[in-house]
Amino acid sequence: MKYLEPETLDEAIAALASSDDARCLAGGATLVAMLNAELVDPKVLVGLRKIPALRGISRTANGIRIGAMTTHNEIAADDRLVGATELLRSAAGQIAHDAIRHVGTIGGSIAHADPSADWPAAITAADASIEIASAGGARTVSVDDFFLGYLQTAVQPGEIVTAIDIPSGPQHARGHYLKFSRVDGDYATVSIAIVLAMDGKRCEYIRFAAGACGPKPIRVAAAEERLLGTELTAGDIAAAGDLLAAEADPVDDVRGSSEYRRMLIPRLLSRAIAVVGRAHHD
Amino acid sequence: MTESTTIELRINGEVHSLEVETRRTLLEVLRQDLQLTGTKRGCNQGVCGACSILVDGNSIRSCLSLAVAMQGRDIVTIEGLGDGARLDPVQQAFLDAGAIQCGFCMPGMIISAKALLDKNPRPSKAEIRHALGNNICRCSGYVKVIDAVHRAATT
Repeated sequence: MKYLEPETLDEAIAALASSDDARCLAGGATLVAMLNAELVDPKVLVGLRKIPALRGISRTANGIRIGAMTTHNEIAADDRLVGATELLRSAAGQIAHDAIRHVGTIGGSIAHADPSADWPAAITAADASIEIASAGGARTVSVDDFFLGYLQTAVQPGEIVTAIDIPSGPQHARGHYLKFSRVDGDYATVSIAIVLAMDGKRCEYIRFAAGACGPKPIRVAAAEERLLGTELTAGDIAAAGDLLAAEADPVDDVRGSSEYRRMLIPRLLSRAIAVVGRAHHD
Repeated sequence: MTESTTIELRINGEVHSLEVETRRTLLEVLRQDLQLTGTKRGCNQGVCGACSILVDGNSIRSCLSLAVAMQGRDIVTIEGLGDGARLDPVQQAFLDAGAIQCGFCMPGMIISAKALLDKNPRPSKAEIRHALGNNICRCSGYVKVIDAVHRAATT
């Protein structure tokens, strides 16, 4: 395995094109574990740590831009992530443990697209756009078109995820990531990521996704529409939760049975709405 | 095909020039090339915490770090704590509290405790439990470990 450490994005794209079996190394929290387990054996590894343009959080005209190599801990500590984008800060702080959050990156996580990880559901509910670069230039993909299946994304060979753009959403929007797991630091059994804005007592905007409940984040437009314009009564929320759970396709594993996960979805949706709903009254 | 390269690693204040295979982890290089065997290999998947080391002051997993990607970082292993004659106060507190059973997870536990106390010298017991939540002890002797960190923080 050849290891390359380019210092610019153009060099990284060239390095990635130097072999038909090249992979990017972000923080390594997943990829090095996969190397150790002999699940992957690329001919060329392109380390991205020395490319400053891929790192950091900045404000944009309509929200926040997060460089792909920004670590979970850097996101968890950024107090500019408020309102709708607080969803991201909330999710980042709940990923694994401190030792992992210091090295793991948002770009590495979403490019890997493990549906049990926290970022896929979080950026889905946050209505993110993902910037992807290649020798042909940059393109932007809506998060709704980014996750294609289990460990599958819209990223093509030769492409690198460079940044994630998160809109600040409507005024007064609040975001939250509710993670239900067996123990602190584990993967989620089920998670609910949500952004909600109220107009008085009525729901003006809502977008949510369930994590760890299928091959990719589960987002159901009909479930969101069921709540739009309502006062978010227990009955409204239960009906929307059922619509969301009906589209979920969870696996049976050590973190819970498929049936158990399906049962959790409406309950956690209700709890997540209570958290962001309460924030509106503060 | 294996490929090697020459790298420089700064470990416990000393710069080592090493020829390493690109796919080897820092954990392997520490244990096999530098005989720094205090850092343990448990799961090799980043879960158990036995291989924890300090990098630029943060506790990270040496099994999840490729050695070639660690150049320019300030690496401290369990051997780098204390001054050779005297133990680091955190190590001494673990001894005094009787926290050590088989000992395998202890270097990782002490590194996590060190990282915590360097940033938060007076943690609550809840904060200690949270910070050490990523270190697994198969003897399941967690109570005295928490006591030891609390002792290190209050003496």
